[in-house]
Amino acid sequence: MAEAKRVELSTEDKKRFQRDAIPLLDSLYAGALRMTRNPADAEDLLQETMMRAYRSFDRFEEGTNLKAWLFRILTNAYINTYRKKQREPQKISQDEVQDFDLYQELKDHDPQLSVTPETLVLDRLVDGDILQAIEELPEQFRLAVVLSDVEDFSYAEMAEIMDVPLGTVMSRLHRGRKALQKRLWDVARERGIVKGEAKLDGKAARNAPAGGAH
Amino acid sequence: MKDECKQAIAQAYLYLDGEGLSGEERSKLETHLHECAPCFERVGLEKEVTHLLSRLKGCTPCPAELKNKITSLLES
Repeated sequence: MAEAKRVELSTEDKKRFQRDAIPLLDSLYAGALRMTRNPADAEDLLQETMMRAYRSFDRFEEGTNLKAWLFRILTNAYINTYRKKQREPQKISQDEVQDFDLYQELKDHDPQLSVTPETLVLDRLVDGDILQAIEELPEQFRLAVVLSDVEDFSYAEMAEIMDVPLGTVMSRLHRGRKALQKRLWDVARERGIVKGEAKLDGKAARNAPAGGAH
Repeated sequence: MKDECKQAIAQAYLYLDGEGLSGEERSKLETHLHECAPCFERVGLEKEVTHLLSRLKGCTPCPAELKNKITSLLES
């Protein structure tokens, strides 16, 4: 972009950019961080995004969604510049993801469990666990889940931002959510929030003190 | 699994995301969710997991230094 022709924005556009785009820096930084997964790259990516956006701001149509427009620039900049040098997380097997059924896992864990918000074990995960689970998702899934569930973009906006058809958005979001649920479930088990062998453990725990007393 | 349940599960994300379902499909799904406890729980669980992610909103704000740097870059 350094060689891009400098277009001098009108004073009004400059003011508009300051007023409307700068307040979106928090969202954009969070998006950059979720994409690059490290603060130094997120910082560079965000700077590049804002410079690009500023230079082409005269082409932004007022009244359309500025946040979606900026996220599209962010996503493009990420794909063109940063993705190449990043190592992708391990690929998640498609079958493993498609078959994952959190509801069934919870029911298998405890058949008596009523799956309500009050009893949702995943609620006991801390923000760091959730962030880690997101970062471990393959890029396309990660992007879809973050744009939808953290940034609240609609399917149509996501299609625009990711430059893919609506059907692809839906499929990536579906698979991304399933993959994330699987990661969260695994983390909950690693943390001991839910036990891998709940019923056996319970039995062992009940028997242990009796045996130990002799 | 009944066809109605299969359909409810297939439409769960569209329903929760407020996307793509006609008014008729929506009310048909809602009627089923009121009548079928497992589907009601399942869709409720999907909603809760999705809401977990909204906890991340604002958890990593843009550092003030970076904001200043960008603002001055734009002004230069």
